[in-house]
Amino acid sequence: MNRAFAFSSRNIRELLRDPLGYIFCIGFPLIMLVIMTVLDQSIPKEAVTVFHIEKLAPGVAVFGQMFVMLFTSLNISTDRSGTFLMRLYATPMTASDLTVGYVLPMLIVAVIQCLITFVTAFIISLIIGSTLSIAGMLASMLTLIPSALMFIGFGLIFGVLFNEKSAPGLCSIIISLGGFFGGIWFDAESTGGMMLKMCRFMPFFYCTRSARAAMSLDFTAKGFFIPLLVVAGCAAVLISLGCFTFSKKMKADLG
Amino acid sequence: MLAVETKGLTKRYKDLTAVDGLDLSVEQGELFSLLGVNGAGKTTTIRMLCCLSDPTEGEAYVMGKSCTSEKTEVKSLIGISPQDTAVSNRLTVKENLMFMCRVYGFDRKKSEERTAELIETFGMQKVENSRAKTLSGGWKRKLSIAMALIGEPKVLFLDEPTLGLDVLARRELWRTIESLKGKITIILTTHYMEEAEQLSDRIAIMIEGKTAALGTLSEIEKISGETGLENAFVAIAEGRMHK
Repeated sequence: MNRAFAFSSRNIRELLRDPLGYIFCIGFPLIMLVIMTVLDQSIPKEAVTVFHIEKLAPGVAVFGQMFVMLFTSLNISTDRSGTFLMRLYATPMTASDLTVGYVLPMLIVAVIQCLITFVTAFIISLIIGSTLSIAGMLASMLTLIPSALMFIGFGLIFGVLFNEKSAPGLCSIIISLGGFFGGIWFDAESTGGMMLKMCRFMPFFYCTRSARAAMSLDFTAKGFFIPLLVVAGCAAVLISLGCFTFSKKMKADLG
Repeated sequence: MLAVETKGLTKRYKDLTAVDGLDLSVEQGELFSLLGVNGAGKTTTIRMLCCLSDPTEGEAYVMGKSCTSEKTEVKSLIGISPQDTAVSNRLTVKENLMFMCRVYGFDRKKSEERTAELIETFGMQKVENSRAKTLSGGWKRKLSIAMALIGEPKVLFLDEPTLGLDVLARRELWRTIESLKGKITIILTTHYMEEAEQLSDRIAIMIEGKTAALGTLSEIEKISGETGLENAFVAIAEGRMHK
């Protein structure tokens, strides 16, 4: 595992020194948090929207995780496009060391991003006079860990299968789909019909739903545990698939 | 024990035979050059010797260990500086070296010692805290070679180390490579004749995946009947060899 940690440490440094990482992984979600709060303050109080801060914060946290996916794919596809990985293939490092080395730093970034999002949301809630529950925020942050792994899994697969030009493009599709069908920017459950069926077909919907349920400390099976289970299942499948794909690709590269 | 040995080493990709029945023996401490035009099979040979590609036929050994059945052992005996610089761009020179130390399982104390040693050997003190992406091509190549030496390899593979460098950076890198001669076995691939001429103990000229000529510079000149490696190479490549 020491080699995996060494590689994680290298990847964290690479990420922290990339200004784009700050813009996309932290700046953009925070801007959305502020803009949507301004929007929420501009519409009648009685209107049912997802822009009230207690619903907005978990949604934006999920939105931010999609950019972690983008950076995971970019990090891996860029390494693959050069000969840096080839150098590492010729050392005692294994496919597991490399995969853990990619996943672990992204998970740390996702947790930090989530923390910053919720702290900012808490400050905003104090300003607008609707204080967020600290217990709810902590529960929501923990609930978002499987969701982070799910998006990292997507990033891992795209980064392994596609080059540094195609992978971000595919991630943009997931970001659009996730934003739309995840019910981040509208109340998916109030839509009904085909729209709701499509939302329920996508894992993103369950990420937002479980995080919002945790935020309101609603730990019912329907509102929290079942969506969380769906997200955890998707995360397990995608991470496993990502590891398998990485290992297969490494063997193909060495063939 | 030979540092590197290949017996009938062959690599085929569908219809293309990249390396065709290569037989090589490289002594320990030797600087051995694989010379050839693009597509001659030099990099494919290096890849097989570094366990990065499995041969279709034949065998390859590094310090007596098989490159197909004893990969872990071989990987601990070799270092490679690939064609591209293969450094981590946002890490400093020192961080790149420390990272490779950890890859080879060194503890913190040994990592710091080894990093300091290589920074001194390669004269990188003034750039040790510079990020790799800000370095010139020459410094990047030096860093790449230093990274390949971290694990104290018995055999160092340098794949076209001076490709794309200006003449001054190339000469500087030659001096670096020359300083390693005798201390370690070096397998160098290049298509720069003067590089092979300047640095090598022995040279193998590869044409279409096969060894067309092998020996010291004077032996190759004798085989070709020409003076100078470039003339000898052209004669051999065009099949105008003296029997």
